[in-house]
This record gives sequence, C-alpha cells and structure tokens, in this order.
Amino acid sequence: MTPGKRDFRALIVAAGLAALFVVLFLHLEAQWAIALLALGLVLGLYFAVRAGLLARVQAAASHHPRAAIAINTIAGIAIIAVLREEHFALLMLATVCLFVTVCLGLTIQFGYAGIVNFSGIAFFGIGAYTTAVLTAHSAIPHLLIIIVSGLVSGLIGSLLILPMLRTRGHYAALVTIAFGILFRTFLEVNDTLGGPQGLKVEGMRILGWSLNDNISLGPLGTVSFYASYAMLALFVAAAAFTLIKRLERSWIGLNLDAVRTDETAAASFGIDVPRWKIFAFTAGNCLAGVAGAIYAMMSGYIAPASFNFGDSLLLVSIVLLGGSGSALGVLPAALLVVVLPEKLQIIQEYRLLLFAVLVILILRFRPDGLLPRTMREYLPGWGRK
Amino acid sequence: MNFKFVALIATFATLVFAGCSSEKEAVKIAFIGPLTGGVSANGLGGRNSADLAVRLRNADSKYTYELVALDDECKPNIGVQVATKAAADNDIIAGVTHYCSAVAMGTVDVYHRFGLPVIVWGAVLPEITYGNDYKEVHRVNGTMINQNEVAAQFMIEQGYKTWVIIHDTTDYGKGHNRYFSKSLVAQGGQIIGTFGVSADQQDFNAELTKVKQLNPEVIYFGGLAPTGVRLRSQMEKLGINAVFQGTSGIVSDAFIEGLGPLSEGVLAFREGAPLEKLPGGQQFTSKYQSQDYGEPPEAYGAFAFAAADLIIDAIEEVGPDRSAVMQQLNSTRDHESIVGLITFDDRGQNTVAVITRYVIQDGKWVVWDDSEYAQGTRKLPRS
Repeated sequence: MTPGKRDFRALIVAAGLAALFVVLFLHLEAQWAIALLALGLVLGLYFAVRAGLLARVQAAASHHPRAAIAINTIAGIAIIAVLREEHFALLMLATVCLFVTVCLGLTIQFGYAGIVNFSGIAFFGIGAYTTAVLTAHSAIPHLLIIIVSGLVSGLIGSLLILPMLRTRGHYAALVTIAFGILFRTFLEVNDTLGGPQGLKVEGMRILGWSLNDNISLGPLGTVSFYASYAMLALFVAAAAFTLIKRLERSWIGLNLDAVRTDETAAASFGIDVPRWKIFAFTAGNCLAGVAGAIYAMMSGYIAPASFNFGDSLLLVSIVLLGGSGSALGVLPAALLVVVLPEKLQIIQEYRLLLFAVLVILILRFRPDGLLPRTMREYLPGWGRK
Repeated sequence: MNFKFVALIATFATLVFAGCSSEKEAVKIAFIGPLTGGVSANGLGGRNSADLAVRLRNADSKYTYELVALDDECKPNIGVQVATKAAADNDIIAGVTHYCSAVAMGTVDVYHRFGLPVIVWGAVLPEITYGNDYKEVHRVNGTMINQNEVAAQFMIEQGYKTWVIIHDTTDYGKGHNRYFSKSLVAQGGQIIGTFGVSADQQDFNAELTKVKQLNPEVIYFGGLAPTGVRLRSQMEKLGINAVFQGTSGIVSDAFIEGLGPLSEGVLAFREGAPLEKLPGGQQFTSKYQSQDYGEPPEAYGAFAFAAADLIIDAIEEVGPDRSAVMQQLNSTRDHESIVGLITFDDRGQNTVAVITRYVIQDGKWVVWDDSEYAQGTRKLPRS
C-alpha cells in the first residue's frame, strides 16, 4: 500500500470513529451510557496517543488538507443523516457547528494575532440582531442577509479598533469586556430592538423554500427541519475551517504569528503590526456575525439575556480547552462545552458545578488544551520521514 | 453449571420484565424552570412543588407519573434548547414551564410547533398568553396587569401621593414600570421620578441620592429579590424615609433573609391567594415539609403544584395523548386547586386572578388585612 492510500485510510477511520462518537454522544440519554462513553473516549484517546495513532492521523491530515476537510464534512453529513428525525440532537449539532464557527473566528484573533477578545458573544449577537431587523424590514434574500450580518459585525467591531490598538494585554482585554457589557445594556434599554423582551426572528427561506418545515420522505418518514439548519451550519463551519487552515499556512498566518510572538521584533522586520491586528480582529468578528445570523433564524427568538458576559467567557474557554491556535481542537472542545451541560440535566442544579470541575481537570492533565497546536508546517507533510 | 447459571439469570430477567408489564403505564411530565443562576431559589421551589404533586398523585392514579425536570437558566437560548428537548420527546405528554418571562416568550413557538400542551407557572408578562393564539399555552398565575392595578389602587387608598419608580431593565422590571405607571396615573397618583437599573447592579448610590432630593412618599421597586435586597439596604444607609413597595418578584423568603430587620414594613403584591387561606393550602405546606426537600417552595411553588396537578387531572381523564390533554386543559372551567378556582379563557389565561397584598411584619410575609399595620397598631412610614 502506498503512503498516500495509508493516509486516506487513517483519515477515514478517524473521521468514522469521531462521527460514531458524536452520534452516540448526542443520541444517548441514559446516565450510565454517557459515563461509559466518556470513559471509552478517555481510554481510547490515551491509547491512541500512546500508540502514536493520533500523530499519524494528524500527519495524514497535514499531508492532505483538502481531503481531510472533505472527509470530515462527509462524516458530518452522515451524522445528520443518521439523526435525521431527532429534533433535539440536530439542534444541538447545529449549535455546536455555529459555536465552532465563532470560536474559529476567535482563533484568528487570539490564537494567531494574539488579540484577546472577551466580547465574542456580542459580535455573535450583532449578527443575530442584524438578521432579526433585516428579515423583518427588508426583502433581502436570506442567504445574503447572513453575509450582510457578518459584515455588520465586522463594521461595528471596527469601532473598537482604535482603543484596541492603543492598549495591550490586559488593557485590551478590558476594552472588549466593556464593549460586551455595553452591547447588552444598549439592547436592554433600546425599545426599537425589542428591549429586554427580545425579538422574534423569521425562519430562513431559500428561493421560496422554508427551512422551518419538516421534509417529508413519504414512506421513509420525515426529516426534522433542524436537519436543514444543521446542514447549513455544518457547511459554514467547514468553510470557516478551510479558510483558517489556509490562512494559517499562508504568509498572512506567518505575519499574524510574528505579531503575536513579539510585536517589537515583528515591527523591526517591517511587518505592519496595526494592519494585521485590524485584519485579524475584523475577520474574527465577521465569522462570529455569520454564525449569529444563522443561530437567530434557527432558534427563532433572540433576547439580550442570551448574550451575557458569561457566554463570552464560554467561547474563550472553548478556544483554550481546544488548545490556543488549534483549529482542530475547537471541534471537540465546542462539542464538550455545548452538549455536556445539556447531557448533565439529570443532576440539575449541580450540573454547572460538575461541568466546571471537569474543565479544570482537563486543563490540569492537558494544560495546552485537548489538541494543542502543532509546529508550523511550511509545506504539506513537512518533516515527514 | 455455567448453563444453569445462565438459565437462572434468564428466568430472573423474565420475571422482572413480567413484573414491569403488569404495572401501571408510565407517563412523563416536563418541568422547566431556572434551577441555576440568580433566581434559582424560585426555580428549585417550583420543581419541588411540581414533584410533590406527582408523588402525591402517584399513590392512586391510573398511570405512573414521572417528572422530567429541565433547567432553562433563565436564558431564552437555553430555554429554546430544553423546550425542544422536552417537546421532541414523544413520551412527554405535557409541561409545567417557565418562571422567567423572556424565556417563556421565546419558547411558546416551540410548544406550538410540536403541539406540546404547557402550563406556565410563574412568568407574568401578559404577552405570553395574549401575544399569540397558541392553544398549547396556558397559565395558572395572573399577569402583571392585574397585579399593578390592585397595587396602585391600594396605595392610593392608603393616602400616598408621590412615587419614585425604580425598576430593573429586564422585561420584568420594564413591564411592571409600564403597567404600574399607567394604573397609578389613571387613579391620580404622581410619579416624580423613574430610574432604570440593571438587574445585577450592586451600587445604587447615584440613583438614591437623586431620590433623596426628590423626597417621594413611596419607592416602587419593579424587580427581583436580589436587587431588591441591595436597594432597600442602601436606602437605609442614605437615610431615605419612604415606603418600600415591591412586586411579586420580591415575595420570597430569600428577600427577608437578605435584609433581616430592615425588611419590616415592606409591601408587595402577588397573584393568587396566600396558601394558608386556601382549602388545600395547609395540606400542601404540611405535605411539602414531610418530603424533606432541601429548599422552601417559595412564592410560586403553589402555582407549579397546581399546574402539575391540573395536568395530571387532564391525563387521568383523557389518557396520555397530547392533543386530547390540550383540549381538556382548554376547557378547564372553575377547576378547584390549591391556588383557588382555575378558569382558562380562550387564550389559556387563568381569569380568576386573585391578587393578595402583603406586608413584612416581624420577618414574615403577612397578608395585609391580618397585619398589625391594617389594624393600626403599627404604622408604615409617612402614613
């Protein structure tokens, strides 16, 4: 077997196993089954790391970046196909995909350019509110609205550029925290945007086809309307993933890394530091806005209470849990942070406590995150024996 | 030997399964409320009360009821998630749902889409039942419109003339501000200042310094207990001598615990008659205490109990079928419950909304008419 074929086989097996895990994780309800699954995951990962299987998969993915993304997207479609009748599981899956998109945006900001953003959920919210207003008061096609919402997020984010460029480190973080709180307070006192009660958002329509209708397959049963949203969210997440993987490997990524590691050194080598900071910040916010737009149409209702400072922290924790700057790490981290609190509903008021303990434990044993960012590779398959 | 062991297990398993099938059919009811976060006291009290209804009824019912409690965190997005979870689960026949108004507003569409009949047990925003035409949505507690009409009328009768309104900027606080201001002005009261504060604000010195200059007779507070506790204690520090008039959101034991003696003479208004005045109230309190729940039922526990009880009545009557239960609930007229008679109008709103006036006396919420304030032995400030 040629090395190329072995790579593909490794990728397909890994994607298949991951998909199986996601399906089981979303589908299972019994507590013992979830506990067993979590244990299986930890043991499986442990032995995969010990046997060097994970490293092999990662090497294969870096050798064939396009194939890796294609195989994973197909795996995602397979998950949706398996869960086609499960409304709740699909809602969670779509939410995970959208959170992945936002966190990939944060990865550009935080992981690459080193800009701390504690108001991620505010930009998500700007996208959601833009969508709510545009669907209600304009005839712009809904697919276009998603893009416009992303741009509006980037535009409003540019208000922060000046203070962000003049501050550094903790002070820059403070600027974003202030903006997040400002955003929420603004929504609460602003009655034209629904005030604290929030706004209803129309479901999405593409060329007259409403995504809010279940799809009937005749004798094969019906497909939940959430499947359409999950599919859309999956494609958006896959596109965002492709984008930032390409970005990482390009000269843009190289510049961003230089800016993060040492601003002074970067500047003395002729890199325009403010320019790259503005680029990373705006690009990240646009991704957040796009995700927010789809989320608003999917959940059908948005209110300021959904865009708390705590939610921004959750986004940051997904990025850190996955491994700062690691696009791949965002996937398991988002799955964990979004779905686990839902799965722990049975222990009710103690679930957030347990969830927090779990996050601390993971970081205790994997301080660089679940899947830390690997060494930069200048060429596909760099350093391969 | 091995074979015998397997056979033994198989026999045992058969017996167990046979035993199960001869039992009553299991029926699930969802409870959704804030089990974590700032208003979790009310959510936990509501959950325990709904759970109590299920436990009591399971003793002699056609079906075995099981309560599935879910946490909405008082956030609309989480609310939509758990509502979808409950509504998409075909084993769940009906739901006792939501304390927070914004969450209920976001989830009614979900219930309508999936055809899950629900009874709201705590959220007071009028639009939840009146803002849509969904047959699935019902509510046992009254709305903030009724509450504020009574509140305004009562305070005018006591002879007060000037108010300052402080409300939190959530839907709850803003709604109360809107409806109270409307009723008060219509009945001749004068509002000399209105302040919106955020629900998690810690320091009210800026607002209260202005209030001190305005010197109102009454401070009306539209918001929940944690904010109310901070506001009332900071009022004292600035030496503001005014009546503290609250809304249903502060009627909880946590409010009194947070303030201690400072809570004396605080007024509040709430839908529904007090427990001890109701035929089933005494029984509810004693049964609740006998179950060893960690938390008190809080102000809306009785509503959650009544809602769960009403659902169980409907299921006993028509069987575990969502649309039949929904129709049964829609036709509820003069149904006896521990919160008084329940009659749903064509929007599913309970129209028999009794509003009770409360005053805190010696660290307890006392019904106004029974208090020493009403008898004249104690006096509110400035009356």
